[in-house]
Amino acid sequence: MRNAHVILAFAFLVVAKAASGQTPPPPQAPTPAPPVASSLPFTGTLDVGGLFTTTSGDEARYERYRDNRDGVFSDLTARRDTEVFLFDANATHIGYRDQRYAVSYTRPKLDFGFRFIGQPVNYSYITRTPFTTEGSTLTLDDNAQRAVQGPTFATNDGTAVGVPCAPGAPPAACGNPAQAAQALANRSIYNNLAPTFDMRQTRNTAAFNATYAATKDIDVDAGFRSIGRKGEQPFAGSFAFNNAVELAKPLDDRTNDFSLGASWARPKGSVRIGYDGSWFNNQFSSLTWDNPIFINDYNNGLLPPNGPYDPSGYSNGNGAAMGRMSVAPDNSMHVFSATALYKVWRRTSLNGTAQFTTQNQNDRLIPWTSNSVINSPVVIAAFPGLAQVPRATAEAKATGVNTLLNFNTRPSNLVNVAVRYRFNKRDVQTPIFDASEYVRFDAVPEEVEEGHTPQFDNSRHTFDANVSFTPTNLGTVRVGYGHEAIARQGRGFADVGENIFRVSWDTYSSELFSVRASFDAGRRRGSGFVEAAEGNDDLGTGATGPGGTQPTLRYYDEADRNRTRGSVVFTVTPTEVVDVFFQFSGGHDTYLADDSVPVSRPGELFGLQKSTVTSWNAGLDYHPTDRISAGGNYGHDTYGSLQRSRNANPPPDPTWTDPNRDWTLDNDDRVDTVNLFLNLLRPFRNTDVRVEYDLSTSNNSFVHGGPRIAALQSIGQFIPLPDVDNTWQRLTADVQYFFSRRVGVGLGYYFERLEIVDFNTIDSSGPNGFNPATGVPRIDWLGALITGYGNRPYSGHTGFIRLLYHF
Amino acid sequence: MNRPRFYLLAASLTFGLAVACVGNGIEPVVMAAGAGAQAGRPSPPPSRAAAAQPPGEYVGEATCAACHDQSYKGTKHALMLNERTPAATHGCESCHGPGKAHAESGDPALIKNPKKMKPAEVSDICTSCHNRASHALWDGSQHFQRNLTCTTCHSVHAPKGEPQLVARTEMELCASCHRPVVNRVYRFHHMPVREGGLTCSSCHNPHGSSNVRLLRAGTTIDESCTSCHTDKRGPYLWEHAPVSESCTTCHEPHGTNNDRMLVSKLPFLCQRCHVTSRHPPTVYEGYLLQNSANGNKIYARACANCHTQVHGSNAPSGKALLR
Repeated sequence: MRNAHVILAFAFLVVAKAASGQTPPPPQAPTPAPPVASSLPFTGTLDVGGLFTTTSGDEARYERYRDNRDGVFSDLTARRDTEVFLFDANATHIGYRDQRYAVSYTRPKLDFGFRFIGQPVNYSYITRTPFTTEGSTLTLDDNAQRAVQGPTFATNDGTAVGVPCAPGAPPAACGNPAQAAQALANRSIYNNLAPTFDMRQTRNTAAFNATYAATKDIDVDAGFRSIGRKGEQPFAGSFAFNNAVELAKPLDDRTNDFSLGASWARPKGSVRIGYDGSWFNNQFSSLTWDNPIFINDYNNGLLPPNGPYDPSGYSNGNGAAMGRMSVAPDNSMHVFSATALYKVWRRTSLNGTAQFTTQNQNDRLIPWTSNSVINSPVVIAAFPGLAQVPRATAEAKATGVNTLLNFNTRPSNLVNVAVRYRFNKRDVQTPIFDASEYVRFDAVPEEVEEGHTPQFDNSRHTFDANVSFTPTNLGTVRVGYGHEAIARQGRGFADVGENIFRVSWDTYSSELFSVRASFDAGRRRGSGFVEAAEGNDDLGTGATGPGGTQPTLRYYDEADRNRTRGSVVFTVTPTEVVDVFFQFSGGHDTYLADDSVPVSRPGELFGLQKSTVTSWNAGLDYHPTDRISAGGNYGHDTYGSLQRSRNANPPPDPTWTDPNRDWTLDNDDRVDTVNLFLNLLRPFRNTDVRVEYDLSTSNNSFVHGGPRIAALQSIGQFIPLPDVDNTWQRLTADVQYFFSRRVGVGLGYYFERLEIVDFNTIDSSGPNGFNPATGVPRIDWLGALITGYGNRPYSGHTGFIRLLYHF
Repeated sequence: MNRPRFYLLAASLTFGLAVACVGNGIEPVVMAAGAGAQAGRPSPPPSRAAAAQPPGEYVGEATCAACHDQSYKGTKHALMLNERTPAATHGCESCHGPGKAHAESGDPALIKNPKKMKPAEVSDICTSCHNRASHALWDGSQHFQRNLTCTTCHSVHAPKGEPQLVARTEMELCASCHRPVVNRVYRFHHMPVREGGLTCSSCHNPHGSSNVRLLRAGTTIDESCTSCHTDKRGPYLWEHAPVSESCTTCHEPHGTNNDRMLVSKLPFLCQRCHVTSRHPPTVYEGYLLQNSANGNKIYARACANCHTQVHGSNAPSGKALLR
């Protein structure tokens, strides 16, 4: 099919070329000059040949966003430029999953464009799953489920293991090396029922856009875009702490976007009003999947609160035979906007925009649970809220208002003033949903105090003022101040304000060098901190923060923070043919305790403490002629963060306030990047050569510390995690030789290699980094049944040989 | 016929039909003002009569071409029948100003040369026409304030890449200042930028935007990301607070070495905020990974092995984002 498409497209081009070779229409009249449209030729390139790939290791990761299957290579372009119109078209990789097409046509009154983009995401070709997918239902072999469950609901009367460390054949729990060894030796029955499959998805986008110049000043623009997504993606659906399940979630959804606008513009200013609508539709509103360790909903024969469900089923695995989850709901978004620009006088302008947004989602809600034991009269009598959901549909809605106003003036050649104000508001209007009684993991009904859906409204006012001075031709110094005030509902702080000071220096007039440097410092402070008395606070003393958190926890996206950022871009051009550049950027965030921390617990602070980012780059570009260019760049990036936590039980357990239970995590990621390129156009007769090489190598460490770690080490229950290392390299080379002005041959080569060690990838030997990688997934590690999707090494070679024809 | 094949056939037909029409010189009616156009026959360029004797201080393109070999042919500026373009007005002098004094004396100071002008003055020239749609918010934008101008990134006469860029590709151009950001696309988990599926301008509008960070779509970071990732848009029955705040609380959209472009690896990212009791703040390390069922909080999808609906849940029992 793929080759037929290439032939079809090629045929169209041949027809078009033949059509364009017809005798042009006769001249209209001696004066004025005849139209020039038909006298200018079509130009373009036909680049057609073969593509061949060989891969070792994780082939899907090599092809992650591409389709490199053996077959026809195609790259077609066509262009025609006249004084009346411009036409441009291209087609790439016809028939492959990553095929792309684009057409643009510009005339005096009309600007039209179309593009189609196929974008694959290839997860893995070596994943395995015992689930059979039918629509949005994933099922397991019934005999296997029965063998795991056993004849009764006793924990270990099964004859097979479904999930290691879960009920079934022993062991039903793993907490020490002996149990773990037993669990790893007793393979899951599903291991032999899980065939290999390709896990991938494809996102196809088709978009049209057109702008019509109704008059010299007025444009009308319209656009339509449709994005369809199909395939599978790795997802999870679990039943208990010891029964985690990874699935190949089916995908079939579509987003349609439509836009319409009208604008009026003159040199003095412009105005545009517009509408943008977006509709997301998911063929699957929920997902249903089998439990690998139960074919019947667990039933212990007791009465609430001790049964017939297992009150600890969310942790020990005694739960439902099937799970049901909601997936991405259908939703829509509508935006009405107005944008305007007005040049008040010669060097002063005002521009701004106002947008009103509504978002809606009203999918039908799934039931509280799929568990028939819980959906029984005896349980409903104890949990009457579970008789039915409070409403049939979500009725979810949010509205938004956004305004932006920019004022810019240059009263003299030396001074520029820019002032900006932005207002943004998100108002959640979803009616509160009462889930004070709900079902956890489809296993256990619970009643909770914080059982109502939250509404995370926020509104922001942002003010920015910057003044630039250009005293000499050596550059412009800018100083500025910004203030952002955020009001939030449902978070830790009710109000947050940040003051930002900035300074920058930019040169532009020297032919020898240029400098761009900036420095920002921000101080964010919150007020109205919420110390909730709800959650796990059985004592009612405010011992916990919101949601049962440690009361000194600060959520880093709103916590008090000191921030500094800086960057320098320095470029030297000693001669016209050489640029030498140096870039640095860095930033440091420190998160602070709030003044409301109880005096009895001074100095405590949990969550993210600080983070630091630095990036150094140096390189040069050499371009002696239009036909020769070469260059390279070396970059070194570091990213570091420190976070704190406490491994504790809830109050009144003494571990809750025991500082010896504290621990820290230090995460450092160091990355080196190298980019090299060489372009030689006609270094030899009729030959073009292009070569590029890219490298990125990373060392990502996770180091625990603190008294809790020392305590675990003392009892032999702490093993440091190995660093996550990866090195990625890519080499591309393309050589084209032209026999004549029009005809040539091309040879291309693409090489890519990834070396990686990642402890969260489980091979047949166990977790990578602790054990040698085998590249063969293991789907039944401790406490889970997974697909085997992970981060594994690969190397791949792709070669292209093709004929080139310029017309 | 399934959808991909339908789109392929439609694209091929559109492609071939457009080429055939253009090749045959079949064109829709040209609605040029005062041109006396007839259907299927293009009108003579209206400015040609005017160009023969340019008024006042203008000398006309032919005079410029006598000394200068720069051209803008093959670009939208050269569409003579579009009354807004330089070709339809004063040609070269539309941007460089009246050239009579310069042509008579040869003095380069008597003509507008963007290479020698202040950035804001260059912007004034370009935005006298390019002041609508994606360029309407240039004045006061971040790049404008840092003394960039149109010719910093674009070249009318000698572009190297599309659309009329001074570099071969967008990435190469943006890297001249934003190298640390561009380097991120080479990291292990990334958007398909280095594969050609996206470019910098897929998400950003460098000319000015109503959104933060010069993001092209929407009015917040979330609206920008969910303009493509519409499955995450919601709103949901149960929302996850950092998701409502900003996608970049958890994700680094340019690329990272952590799965799903997270700013840190799971479970550690979640543990920055979930400091409660029992399993959320448990120390997840090598002993648990190799000896306990709780290792399932470390490998594969880590916390998301159970808390699957991390972007929000529409399930009545979705309180902990489990369903």
